Amino acid sequence: MSDFTLKIRRYDPESGEPAFWHEYPVDLPPERSVLDGILQIKDREDASLAIRCSCRAAICGSCGVRINGKSALACNTRISDAARRAGPGKPIVVEPMGNMPVLKDLIVDMDAVHWKKIMRVVPWLLPAGEPPEREYTVPAEAMIDVTQSMACIQCGVCVSACLSLEVDPQFVGPAALAKAYRFVGDPRDGQTEERLRDLAEDPHGIYDCTHCFACIEVCPKDVAPMSQIMRLRRRATGDFEIKDSNNGYGHERGFVNIIERWGTLHEAQVLPRSFGEGSFVKGQVKPSAVKQLAETLPTALRGLRSGKVTPKKVIVHPKLPDQARVRKVMHTIESKPRLELNLYIVGDNSGEEQGAMAEGSQEL
Amino acid sequence: MGIISKVHPVRSHSNAAQGGINAALQPEDSWESHAYDTVKGSDFLGDQDAIEIMCREAPEEILHLEHLGVTFHRNEEGQLGTRAFGGASAARTYYVADITGQAILHVLYEQLMKHEEVERFEEWFTTALVKDDAGRIAGAVTRNIRDGSLELFSARAVIVATGGNGQLFSPTTNALICTGDGIAMAYRAGAPLMDMEMVQYHPTTLAGLGLLITEGARGEGAHLYNAQGERFMEKYAPNKMELASRDVVSRAEQTEIDEGRGFPDGTVALDITVVPRKRIHEALREIVNVGRDFAGVDITREPIHIKPGNHYVMGGVKTDINGQTGVPGLYAAGECACISVHGGNRLGANSLLDTLIFGRRSGQHAAASGRGLPVPEPAKAELAAEREMIDSIVSRERSGRRVSELKAEMGAVMDKDCSVFRDEGRLQGALEVIKRLQEEVTTVAVDDKGSVFNQDVLGVLELQFMLDNAECTLVGALERRESRGAQFRTDFPERNDGEWLKHINLTANGDVPAVSFSEVTMTQWQPEERKY
Amino acid sequence: MKLAYWPGCVSRGFTPELHGSMHLVAPKLGLELVELDRANCCGAGVIAEHNQEMADTLNARTFALAQKVDGAAGMMNICSTCQGAQSECQERLDADSGYREHVNSHLSEEGLSYERDGEWWNKNFLWLLVEEIGLDKLSEKVVRPLEGLRIAPFYGCYIVRPTKRLGYEGHPNRDKYLDFVIEILGAESVEYAGSHKCCGFPVITMNRATSLRQAGRHLADALDAGADCLVTPCPLCHLNLDMQQPDAAKFVERDLDVPVLHLPQMVGLALGFEPKELGMDKHVVKTSDVQRKVAELAAA
Repeated sequence: MSDFTLKIRRYDPESGEPAFWHEYPVDLPPERSVLDGILQIKDREDASLAIRCSCRAAICGSCGVRINGKSALACNTRISDAARRAGPGKPIVVEPMGNMPVLKDLIVDMDAVHWKKIMRVVPWLLPAGEPPEREYTVPAEAMIDVTQSMACIQCGVCVSACLSLEVDPQFVGPAALAKAYRFVGDPRDGQTEERLRDLAEDPHGIYDCTHCFACIEVCPKDVAPMSQIMRLRRRATGDFEIKDSNNGYGHERGFVNIIERWGTLHEAQVLPRSFGEGSFVKGQVKPSAVKQLAETLPTALRGLRSGKVTPKKVIVHPKLPDQARVRKVMHTIESKPRLELNLYIVGDNSGEEQGAMAEGSQEL
Repeated sequence: MGIISKVHPVRSHSNAAQGGINAALQPEDSWESHAYDTVKGSDFLGDQDAIEIMCREAPEEILHLEHLGVTFHRNEEGQLGTRAFGGASAARTYYVADITGQAILHVLYEQLMKHEEVERFEEWFTTALVKDDAGRIAGAVTRNIRDGSLELFSARAVIVATGGNGQLFSPTTNALICTGDGIAMAYRAGAPLMDMEMVQYHPTTLAGLGLLITEGARGEGAHLYNAQGERFMEKYAPNKMELASRDVVSRAEQTEIDEGRGFPDGTVALDITVVPRKRIHEALREIVNVGRDFAGVDITREPIHIKPGNHYVMGGVKTDINGQTGVPGLYAAGECACISVHGGNRLGANSLLDTLIFGRRSGQHAAASGRGLPVPEPAKAELAAEREMIDSIVSRERSGRRVSELKAEMGAVMDKDCSVFRDEGRLQGALEVIKRLQEEVTTVAVDDKGSVFNQDVLGVLELQFMLDNAECTLVGALERRESRGAQFRTDFPERNDGEWLKHINLTANGDVPAVSFSEVTMTQWQPEERKY
Repeated sequence: MKLAYWPGCVSRGFTPELHGSMHLVAPKLGLELVELDRANCCGAGVIAEHNQEMADTLNARTFALAQKVDGAAGMMNICSTCQGAQSECQERLDADSGYREHVNSHLSEEGLSYERDGEWWNKNFLWLLVEEIGLDKLSEKVVRPLEGLRIAPFYGCYIVRPTKRLGYEGHPNRDKYLDFVIEILGAESVEYAGSHKCCGFPVITMNRATSLRQAGRHLADALDAGADCLVTPCPLCHLNLDMQQPDAAKFVERDLDVPVLHLPQMVGLALGFEPKELGMDKHVVKTSDVQRKVAELAAA
């Protein structure tokens, strides 16, 4: 048994008082969870402390909180790990999840944020036509692939941690977009392109993710929501050439084209190409692109004025010595069906002699 | 139509059904084979008419789920693939990695989101079922957990689908919400309970915490060893080995442990390392996480210590094949119901199936029979009585032990004296403890005096439900003077078909439940010796 | 210590002061940098978003070039984004020998091949400072302790998440290194909400509001916590925090005007270089207040 201290943010909406912090000693073996600590407080000291919890095994998704500032399930955070991260002599800080309104103590309003966003992505299968007499015949890998997002337990921990949501509450968000991939990646769904177009065109959709890895870091189920968002982007641009008005398509194509041409990034070309659906010329003449370029003009001028950007640099960018080879490799890969090694499927075989690529990777 | 749930529906414990769902869907398999395995698994206590229905309808149900979007595992041809499971004569378990229950529950919730005509009352706690003067179900009293308000719902039919009662035991694989609420409420409303003594101990649970390691692990080939390195199932079930039915494997493990061949922590070892790593990652991912997070063990590299642990209640509210209970208009489905398809022991991957088949049948029957009936007007007095009951708990001053202490005492005594091996003396002692706790709970006080998310007061109501469940389990276990399925009486170690091939029914009747018996329905399989 | 050195694209493009300052401080720290001038862009996550195999191949090429540098202890980058994008590809390449062979087959014409080797590493300058040079050794080289300077660390997402991929198991304090370095150089590390958050750069062309609200908020938080300046090991963060700062200020509706230093610039100041040498005049947000404070230090 060891002694730990939990510092918990309490809030009682009926008291008329603001939220406050309270420290509780708990006595648990080090391998037990933060949830066990909270339950011990409820059992022994104050049963009015409110937290949703049920399974104690990270499958029901009830007990999302923030522990020392990091979003997590209380039930699969070891209390000794939490104590170590809090630092010597410091209490383990437990507070409700972020980006959602607090109802009481550690309970937040999931309906107001999380479930509303889930509804946004039309969260049910929309098959094309009548179902077959038997099961749908679909590749085994495709089913495992969407099972990664099916593994989501809707705990909201990623929603709590999302750094885009923090500044843009309208962002569809990591959990809902992972849910969207569950259908987009499902060969039985008949609305793949419509779903992708919808989420690509939404200014708060797939191109509002800032690629910060926060959701991947905190997800207790390895759903890797951001990776699912990247897959949505890949399918939107690669499979359907969806030229969205958020410049997602343009940015991706522009970037790839620059590397194809020069081998390293020619920053001055990124914006025009982004706004011009990947093409530099289009980026100069397309009316919407001109407007967007104009918006960024002050930034460019500032760059020039500070001396970090020279006019020469804007125009001339050196090619890599072996650029022809780089380009050839890129062309070779581009000309074949996309290949994706999904570590969720194959696991990490790095300790093994032989690889599993033949079975675990898939062409999409 | 509405759904009332004390937690958000996707938090429900069907999530925990890891391994899969059985159906004889392959051409070389047959529903009769599935039914026979189920009958044998039940130790011939299952009702064969109900088992036949379940096994016949299983393939259609799997396809229905597949069409709704469940991401079932595929074989190389892209068709539904299966895995092996305990007590089954064919590999007929369909699965989604080891999150089958979760995948099905979440896909069904997708459909609920799609069908907005079904009203959802999420985080509403039902405290009592209400009948009309004629004894027909009329509705339920329910508390909105978010604001503490109490409502009287009127309904032409009510289906109780509240799951099991594993929280009677400590430890248990069951979630904290599995407190037998529906079983107790139906019992209090006059519906008979059946087979309540039949409590399954799962062979592979983590010591201490009680968390589940799916039977799928053994289905994929994992072995069991005692501390001396013997693959001990050779002695107990030479043919099926680790894949004998759960009661058999749990008893084998407990015998090894009791006779001193277990590990010092009262466990034996489950060795999953014999399963290829890639297959583990694909099919047993969840238990990789459970091993890592809750036992500190990398199951792909070393054996994990396990023991039998409380897992499932075969008994419950007695129903017919359409889910109808002894109270007109009241139905039960899922783990809280006893049809009985599981009899003395449930086969792995038959619980989701039971829930889905008889859940659907209950729904269809309730809708058809309720149509045309007037909407009942339940007496407001019921609402007032429930409100008064809750108010009295909240306003009570503390004088004795805490709710948690009562619950802990119940859990410990049930696990000690009403588990894998039982005898009259221990059962009687446990019953005395439960009777005492039933008294004590009427004086217990709470810390939380508020209305919003008052989990404290709900804990008292749950404890009362659990104590009713516990009493019935013990009374049934005392009554059945034989060993069958999950009930092993060391004082009556043999199965006794002459006297005990029958169900024990319990009906609320003042201080102690009234005991009666009902026949086991047999269609084509006569009892025989059970060997694996 | 000899190193294969991958400066990245931006340090040679829009933030030349980063490249320049790195070259200045390297010899003082005993680092011999062999620049990978034939290596290509890491893809910054965007190429992976387009085609994973392409990103993995391009970075395998860079790793292969680095592995060919004779006598190099490892590979160093000076960009959080390069670190993150490359680590992601390396994770896949290392996980599966079949996949690695397949990717290498694209490079065979060039005579290149990335070999998985438990010893070989690719580290950001920040990690290298703490793990390879060591804080003690670094402190010995300080000739101008940055006393009195209040510096807010800004890590950049790509070297703090996901911890599993980024080697935090072996180096659990990597998310505190910038604070360590600030303190060892004699300055005060400022604690504020945004230190490990996202600068917003990846969506600057797609959602300017989200992007600049992020940048603006973190700058404001640092300012409110009393920071004289920020320091970052990521030039892309620098672009959003410095070059875009006047626009970011509009999105958070307040004045900001807080300078943002590159990590080698901060180290360079403590090693005795003059602000001008370190390119501190080439920032959009003027660094004159920091320069003045440093000048006072020198006088004292």
